[in-house]
Amino acid sequence: MMENLIWGYVYPNEAEIQWSILIVLYPYITGLVAGAFIASSLYHVFGKKEIKPVARFALLTALSFLLVATMPLLTHLGRPERGIEIMFTPHVTSAMSGFGYIYSFYLIVVVLEIWLSFREDIVKNALNSRGWKELLYSALALFSYDISEKALHDDEKLAKRLAIIGIPSAAFLHGYVGFIFGGIKANPWWSTPLMPLIFLMSAIVSGIALLILLYIIAMKLRKHAIDHKCLHSLAHYLWIFLILDVTLEMLEIISMKYESLEEIEIINRLLSDKIATTFYGVQLTMGIFIPFVLLLLVGMIKNRETLKMIMISISSVFVLIGVFAMRWNVVIGGQEISKSLSGTLTYVPVFFSKEGVLPAIVILTIPFIILIVVTYILPPWKDMEEEPERNPDK
Amino acid sequence: MEISRREFTKIGCRVIIGAAAGTAVIESLVTNGSAAGESPKGEYDWNEHYWGFVVDTKKCIGCGRCANACKLENKVPFDEPVYRTWVERYRVLRGGEVKIDSPNGSIDGFTDDIPAEDIKKAFYVPKICNHCDNPPCVQVCPVGATYETKDGVVLVDYDYCIGCRYCIQGCPYGARYFNTEKRTADKCTWCYHRITKGLLPACVQACPVGARKFGDLKDPDSAVNKILDEERINVLKPDLGTKPKVYYVGLDREVR
Amino acid sequence: MNGREPLLLNGEKIMQPHLKRAFTLLALVIIAFIFVRSLVVPQSFGQYGWYRGDSVNEIKNFQVEYAGSAACGEENCHKTIYSVWAKDRHKTVNCETCHGPSEEHVGNVRIMPPPANDSRDYCGLCHFKRAARPANFPQIDPETHGENLKCTYCHNPHKPWFI
Repeated sequence: MMENLIWGYVYPNEAEIQWSILIVLYPYITGLVAGAFIASSLYHVFGKKEIKPVARFALLTALSFLLVATMPLLTHLGRPERGIEIMFTPHVTSAMSGFGYIYSFYLIVVVLEIWLSFREDIVKNALNSRGWKELLYSALALFSYDISEKALHDDEKLAKRLAIIGIPSAAFLHGYVGFIFGGIKANPWWSTPLMPLIFLMSAIVSGIALLILLYIIAMKLRKHAIDHKCLHSLAHYLWIFLILDVTLEMLEIISMKYESLEEIEIINRLLSDKIATTFYGVQLTMGIFIPFVLLLLVGMIKNRETLKMIMISISSVFVLIGVFAMRWNVVIGGQEISKSLSGTLTYVPVFFSKEGVLPAIVILTIPFIILIVVTYILPPWKDMEEEPERNPDK
Repeated sequence: MEISRREFTKIGCRVIIGAAAGTAVIESLVTNGSAAGESPKGEYDWNEHYWGFVVDTKKCIGCGRCANACKLENKVPFDEPVYRTWVERYRVLRGGEVKIDSPNGSIDGFTDDIPAEDIKKAFYVPKICNHCDNPPCVQVCPVGATYETKDGVVLVDYDYCIGCRYCIQGCPYGARYFNTEKRTADKCTWCYHRITKGLLPACVQACPVGARKFGDLKDPDSAVNKILDEERINVLKPDLGTKPKVYYVGLDREVR
Repeated sequence: MNGREPLLLNGEKIMQPHLKRAFTLLALVIIAFIFVRSLVVPQSFGQYGWYRGDSVNEIKNFQVEYAGSAACGEENCHKTIYSVWAKDRHKTVNCETCHGPSEEHVGNVRIMPPPANDSRDYCGLCHFKRAARPANFPQIDPETHGENLKCTYCHNPHKPWFI
């Protein structure tokens, strides 16, 4: 069986693929975090008022996914119990060693940002509830209940500063994940200085798409009117970042093919054989081209909000699948070519195993559960209920 | 009132420096004074040696005794497809096609499955960790669980490795593998437990034709230096700047 | 650490108490982290470089398995066969290549290494005709040479041309 999976010559130690589907999941999840955070800062930093309805929800989404970002990594480690060493003795020359600190810093920024934007609600809840709820909200308020205008003003100022710090750290959190791959000179499919930028752009794209979908689903569940201005604005940003994303991805492939270095033969085989479907089919056509056209149409069609919403939803789903395929093509694709440049391997995902598909599905489900719990404790929709906007469609 | 940007930066810097200084102070309290030049206890002084390895591909007969001895000496899982050293066979066919293989890392030897008249040229190439002077595996290890010793050997700390396998991805030569028993990365040590006792690495000792030579680059009369002084040598993938310390005699352009 | 924090927010005025609490909490977490780190990181880490210095000695102390041919000829144990072997063409083949790793046997003669592998295929690992072998290396065609008998039937492995 092994023989059929291997073509040409691979180094004997390469017979097994080392980074499994869990490592595909890891950049996918951090990408969603970075994207959701950057979407929220469109409001918090750049003052894009039309994003306001989802700004706080975007922060909670970022937190929910951030909390599980370490899970695929820890599950994958041979010695998970030693994982904390990355915090205690980070080796500075390693692109991976930054993970612990960048992650922690970013977690602090996101938690503080959420705390500041929800503090008014937390304090009000603490004062108006009894029993365990009172205790919970009081603890969240750090037993300090000042919500005078002055206090809230200070909070807002700090929140804005944090968001300003947050953007580069979100970009860094994900850009460095790209560098983990881009900095590996041993692997010609990974080694490109464009990798961090490609990762960042696809992160933003996937984060916005996730936010759009979660927003639509949440509104449907709450039987609340969708703010179409907000939705279209998000769709607009999604479209812009899609263009940046595809430009960089194409630039990488084109320059690789044009320069035709030693490794071009094996890269061509990778693209035309191993990952042809997931690359040309899913990543480029489904994940970029179709959403690009659909979103373009959304921009041109007048009225017909329901149709536009459906088109935006489809685009978002496709983008999310496409970005997952992109992560797959990088992480798995890069390992399917031998570093001998003379052969290829095939990764066959196992369903039930420590590094199989099942744990991947479980890990990808957890953030949604966290999100449900967090939105229950800290409802992010308050702004909308104060100024209800009835949708003519409903 | 709004504070000026300069002030903001200044404060930020002070906080960072303060935290760094705090860490440094606490660290100096708990760690012993480190003496970088010292050698680990014992008779062997790692400052006196700098090891190197020469492979003469023109001598190799592909018997695979090196790979076999290595697995036994270093207790490498025998029935798993993991190897600290292996022998590759290159066969350039008359049509120009190049066939490369290394069945079971050469431990069971090779059998001719292509008729001799179809082969233009054929040869064996032993492979082993290059113990690079600029090792990409050490560079990428996130926790400091792999390192280059003062005498030029790249080792893995099996009690510290977290098993992330980034080093396996980082090695351009496929010299590293994941040890499923230890659940850590693993690789050739140039038999560090032997060479520090004055013995040769197991693969060098096992080679019946002297295709593998091991010696001290600091000793001008060592077996390795004699060859390096006379022969035209090359290293694998020199363009990657890893500065390997395994030197090859008679390396073909097909070998990567 | 806390004394500086108020400036982060407001040049002249004192920081809001809830922010003060939040930053104190953060500072406590960081201090706790530094403290735990100082306890957990091994003593020898950083002794020689960014790694655990003790691991060098741990690796140095691994068990040796192959004693080397010299150990066999020492102390009159296998002196006769050693001197035969040492003068003939197979002197480049280490004893343990056929007889198996024997460091344990050298330390304690009661522990016997496994019997030498004298099968035809084992000799063939070196001596069967193979296209990739250097042409001047002694090779036989297993189809035509030796009628599928054990090589040791004719050849003495310690003195191969002695028939």
